[in-house]
Amino acid sequence: MYHVNNLSEIGKILVDNLNRYYMPFPVDKKVCSGWAKDLHRGGDTIIYTSCMYQIEPAVGMFLKFLPSISSFKVLMPLARLVKPSKSQLDRAYKILNNIVEALEKSGIKPGYLYEEEPYSGAILLEMGFLEEFGEYAKKIVSLFREKGVKKIITVDPHTHNALTRYQEFVKHDLEIVNYLELVNYTKKVEGEFTIHDSCLYSRFLGLREKYRGLIEKSGIKLVEDEMITGKDTSSCCGGPLGPVDLKVSEKIAENRAKDLEKLSKRLLVVCPICYVTLSPHFKGEIMDIAEVIF
Amino acid sequence: MLSWDIAVNRAINNAVPKVYKVLREHPYIEELAKRLREAKLEVLNNLEKYVEETLQSVKNNGGNAYYVHDEKEAQEIVGKIVGKGKIVVMGKSMVAYELGIRKYLESLGNEVWETDLGEFLIQQANEPPSHIIAPAIHMTKESVGKLLKEKLGGVDENSKVEDMVAVVRKFLRDKFVKADVGITGANAIAADTGSVLLVENEGNIRFTTVAPQIHIAIAGVEKILPTLADAMIEPLVQSAYAGLYPPTYVNLTSGPSSTADIEHNRVRPAHGPKEFHLILVDNGRVKANKDNVLREALLCIRCGRCHFHCPIYRAIGNIWGDPPYSGPMGAMWSYIVKGDTKPAMYCAHSGNCKEVCPMRINIPRVLEHIKNLGLHSQGKDKLDYK
Repeated sequence: MYHVNNLSEIGKILVDNLNRYYMPFPVDKKVCSGWAKDLHRGGDTIIYTSCMYQIEPAVGMFLKFLPSISSFKVLMPLARLVKPSKSQLDRAYKILNNIVEALEKSGIKPGYLYEEEPYSGAILLEMGFLEEFGEYAKKIVSLFREKGVKKIITVDPHTHNALTRYQEFVKHDLEIVNYLELVNYTKKVEGEFTIHDSCLYSRFLGLREKYRGLIEKSGIKLVEDEMITGKDTSSCCGGPLGPVDLKVSEKIAENRAKDLEKLSKRLLVVCPICYVTLSPHFKGEIMDIAEVIF
Repeated sequence: MLSWDIAVNRAINNAVPKVYKVLREHPYIEELAKRLREAKLEVLNNLEKYVEETLQSVKNNGGNAYYVHDEKEAQEIVGKIVGKGKIVVMGKSMVAYELGIRKYLESLGNEVWETDLGEFLIQQANEPPSHIIAPAIHMTKESVGKLLKEKLGGVDENSKVEDMVAVVRKFLRDKFVKADVGITGANAIAADTGSVLLVENEGNIRFTTVAPQIHIAIAGVEKILPTLADAMIEPLVQSAYAGLYPPTYVNLTSGPSSTADIEHNRVRPAHGPKEFHLILVDNGRVKANKDNVLREALLCIRCGRCHFHCPIYRAIGNIWGDPPYSGPMGAMWSYIVKGDTKPAMYCAHSGNCKEVCPMRINIPRVLEHIKNLGLHSQGKDKLDYK
C-alpha cells in the first residue's frame, strides 16, 4: 500500500505532452472546446477551462497504467484510446455552459480560446516539478499576451491555484479571477445537501465563504459537522495523489466518502477532480454546484 | 476495518475536539504561540551565537555541554558518559530515537528502558513510533492488553486501560529507583540560563531527570530559545496544541541538583543528579536553517496536531515517514535528518496542517519544496521544454 510511482518518468510524460499538445495528456482538442458554441473567440476577458471538467473523467485510465510504465513511450498508444464517454462529456459541457450563463446574468460576456486554450500546468506544480512549472508558466503567459488576454476567469480550483502562482515564476499583469467571485446563484433550490470543500478554494485561495454563501442563498440547507466539514477538518478527496500512489489516493477517497455519507446522501462538490475521485466511493448522489445552483 | 483505521479514528475523535476546547477556554495560548514563533525565529536567525551562549550557560551551572554534528558523534559522547553494565531510563526523546541512542547503549551492554508508556509499549513490541507525542497510537487498547499479557502478565485484552497502566507503573518504578542514568530530550532550552524545559503528564520524565545520579538531555539546536522567559512558554503552547492542557508536569533543569541552604551559598550536587549533560544536535538542522523554505520546519514544536488533521496520515499513518518522524511534520523532518524526499511526495496539499499549526508553518509549501529537490537530485536534471 505504499509504493510511490516513478515520478521522474511521469514528469517526462507530462512535459512531453505539454510540448506537443499544451495538455498533460494527449487529448483531441475538440473534446476540450466542444462545449462552447456562441462565445466570441479570444478578447481581453476570457473564460479559462484548462480542459479540467472535460478531461478529468478520463484521467483515471492514465493513472491505472502509471505504476507499470518503464518508458513514457509505452503509454502513448494507450493514451490515445482514452477519452471521456458521451454522458461524461455532456455533463461537463452542461456545467461549463451553466457557468457562462451565470456570468452573463452578472453582465459578463467572456471570450474563449477554443482549441487554442492551453492547460494551466497545475499537475506539475502539485507533483513538485516547480522548475518545470515555472518554465511552462512563462510559455503560457506569453501565449496569453499574444492573444491579447488581460483578464482570465477560471472555473476550477486547481487551475485558479496554478494561475495565481505564476507570478512567483514570471512577471505579468494578467488579472486572475474565479467565476465564484463574479456570479450569483441563478436557480432557487430546495432540500438538503452536505458539502465536500475543495482544499485549494477553502484553505489556500480564500473562496470557501464565496461558494458557501451562494449555496445558502440559493435555498439549499447544508448539513454540516465540525469534525467533517469544518475548515480545519474537511479532508482532501485524495485526487492529487493519483499520479503518486493510486492506492493511497483511493484509500483517502474511501475515508472521505464514508465520513460524508454520515451527513447526507446528497453531496455537493466544487471541483472536477473531487467529483471524479469521490464518485466510486460515495454511496449517494454527487453533484457539482454548477449543476445545481445555476 | 483495519486496526490502524480503528486506532487512528479513535485518536482523532479524542484529540481534535480537545484542542479546540483548550484554545476556546484559554485564549491567551494563541498569543503565546505567536510570541514563541518570534522567539524561535530570533534564534534561527542567529543560530551560531545562541548555540555558543547555550553551551556556556550550561557550563556556568556546573553542567557539561556538547555540540554534535551527527548520529555517530552523539552515540560516542553518550556512550562515554554512560559506560557499560548500567541501568538507563529514557524519558521519551524523539531525538534520541533519531540518533539510535537506545540501541547503541544496549549494544554496549547496558539495560535500557523506555519509560513513557507509549514508548515502553513500542519498545516491548519492537515497533517504530507512529506519532510524535503518542508513539503507540497505532495500537488499540485490545492490542496493548494482549502485548502486556505476553510481556508482563497481570492484564489481558479485556482489561481496563487503568489496569494496564498500573501493571507498567509497577514494573517501571523498580527501574527508576535502580537506574544509574536518565536520558531525556528537551522541549525548550534557554540560551541565557542553560535551562532545559520538559513537559509531560506521566511523571516518568520527572523520575528520569531526578532519580538517577546522571541526567543527559539530548536536543536539536532548534529547541533553543533566547531566554528562560521565552522557554517557559513552550511547554504551555506545546501541551495546549496537543490537547493535553494543563500539562500534569513541567520540569525545569538548570545543571546538577543544588542547594543554598547553608549560608545561602549555592553548592552542587544536592539530592538530585550529581551530573548534568546537555548534548545539542545538528544532524541536518544547520543545513536546513540555511534554506529559507526549509527553515520553517525548524519552528515545529512537536505538538502532533497536524497528524490528526491530515488525510494522508489517517490513510497510511505509521508507515508514512522515517521513524520517529511521521505525519506532515514528519515528512519535513524525514528530509531534514535523513535526506529522504519520498515522504514529501505523498503530500496532497490538503492544507489542514497549515491551518492548525501553532507555529503557522506552511507545511504544504515546505513539502512542495522538498518534492522539487527530490525530483531534481541525484543527477535528475530539470525536464526541458522545446
